[in-house]
Amino acid sequence: MKQETIIPPEGVPVQFNVAGIGARLGAQLIDVVLTFLLILAIVSGFAFAGLGGQWLSGFAALTFFFLRVPYYILAELMWNGATLGKRMLGLRVVSSNGRSLGVYGVVARNLMKEAEVFLPMALIFTISAEDTVSGQISGAWCLMALAVPVFNRRNQRLGDMIAGTYVIHRPEAVLLPDAAATAVEVAEGAFAFQTHQLEHYGAFELQTLEGILRKLKDASKSHRKAQEMEMLKIVEAIRKKIGYSDPVRHEDHEEFLAAFYAAQRRHLESRQLFGDKRADKFHKEKSDETAS
Amino acid sequence: MDLSGPPLIRSVRFRQEREADWKRLDELVTKTERTGVHSLSWAEAQSLAQLYQKASNSLSVAREISLDRGLLTYLEALVARAYLAVYAPQETLGGLFARFFTQGAPRAMRACWPHIQLGILCMFLGAALGYGLYFQDTAWYNTFMPPRLAGGRGPGASTEYLRNVIYDEHGWEGLGSFASFLFSHNTRIAIFVFGLGAFAALPAILLTAYNGTILGAFLALHVDRGLGWDVGGWLSIHGVTEISAICIAAGGGIRLGQAVLFPGQYTRRDALWIAGRDAVKLAIVAAIMLVAAAILEGFGRQLIQDMTARYVVGWGMGLLWLAWFVLGGRQRHTRL
Repeated sequence: MKQETIIPPEGVPVQFNVAGIGARLGAQLIDVVLTFLLILAIVSGFAFAGLGGQWLSGFAALTFFFLRVPYYILAELMWNGATLGKRMLGLRVVSSNGRSLGVYGVVARNLMKEAEVFLPMALIFTISAEDTVSGQISGAWCLMALAVPVFNRRNQRLGDMIAGTYVIHRPEAVLLPDAAATAVEVAEGAFAFQTHQLEHYGAFELQTLEGILRKLKDASKSHRKAQEMEMLKIVEAIRKKIGYSDPVRHEDHEEFLAAFYAAQRRHLESRQLFGDKRADKFHKEKSDETAS
Repeated sequence: MDLSGPPLIRSVRFRQEREADWKRLDELVTKTERTGVHSLSWAEAQSLAQLYQKASNSLSVAREISLDRGLLTYLEALVARAYLAVYAPQETLGGLFARFFTQGAPRAMRACWPHIQLGILCMFLGAALGYGLYFQDTAWYNTFMPPRLAGGRGPGASTEYLRNVIYDEHGWEGLGSFASFLFSHNTRIAIFVFGLGAFAALPAILLTAYNGTILGAFLALHVDRGLGWDVGGWLSIHGVTEISAICIAAGGGIRLGQAVLFPGQYTRRDALWIAGRDAVKLAIVAAIMLVAAAILEGFGRQLIQDMTARYVVGWGMGLLWLAWFVLGGRQRHTRL
């Protein structure tokens, strides 16, 4: 998934996942269906009231025009840059300069939508074989409008470029319990690690271990058996790598891993404070390379 | 190392001290996402802003000192969500409209005056071309004019028929015809002309000129039959507004095209963004004018049959538009 960084005025960069073409097309379709249903409801309301004929079809065309454009603009202004379709699919429009999404941006991208999205949609139905020149021009226009978002980094359509906006996935925040907080109290006393034993691994291995510990905690009884086998392998691998000679009892495996995680994290974080960032277990070779 | 039992890891302590604030921010952001910033009380809004700043501060520290991936992903997402909630668009609609009509639109029109002139020039040259070619050979008429638009009016039609179309009292269908005029040829042309401008301006220029040739040939046909003055009135009542709208849309398109072709010191993307601020206003002005033209065409032209009155209404509208563009949004210079 493409990622983009926005720098808000606070100066702390924030990362967003750029919305894919599929998700945006889906949101657009939902919006089209919703506006169509709304207009259908209004028009059929008038039809039941006994109005009809030429007047009604004119009225339908008018509501279509005067509801559609304002709908997108007002929805994005009122609901934090998301139309109903975007809301349902968890998308949002953001301004690429890090400031708040302005009126100009919303209006510009939705006006261009008329030319970029709705015109091609209408043209697909109306292109006829009789006038070839205008048919070709229309076809070329449709292709161009489709090609622009595919071939740029942020999947921006032309309207987005003019407006200085792009569409992102709304981030979801779930706070997981700290794997080290419980481990410290329970287990760090039981297993003692020497500093030289903690010099082997880097942040990547640490965070992989963090993931495994989380999985162990959430695991149900039925999966326990398979996981004990996996744990055994991991414990043996770690013991071999760091040269931990004391035997670890079978039932202590999880505690051993938790204690090692806590000790390793304490060590790596304190190294990091001194400017020694260790990305993974190859950190030694890397620092030797830069030194020589 | 400390001897009094294992102390908490620094990053664990960091997290424990701030976790309550993050949870509170999470609640506020969730509430804002569901019901909007306006539903927050004053105190809540204030603490949203403060907690957001604290959280983004925490994130920047955590990126440096913590290796807890659970915490990092959480903070990244929380700060991103809070950013979206804090920097949401906050505008009142009333102010928006007033500002556009009194300041934004006329200023943009004046700023883009050269581009609009270019649009008018394209239209005029096209019309001259169409006019000239018609008198060279009437067969050109059918080359330019799409059959749907002509509605049976061509070199083959009788003068009587042409006169009838101009002074037709029967074809009035009120709203229905208003709508059909709005979605007619010209609205489509205006949308195209504006949108195509972003692709290097040339398509916009060509399309505007082509539209001009249609107009020129149409005029020439009627002048040829001695109906020049009459068709002038027939066209004027809405055409002054409508054709100006197309020229303005073309001006907006050319402004965008200029940004793509000659971005100057900016990147093309930034140049497009800057140009868009004026161009979009031109597009809105053109849209408003097209709606006005459709009203004039759907109602005015059928209700006003007198030729002089048609001229007066048509060009009077033109003057009103011009007055708006020339006089609107000027700031009085205050001397101290």
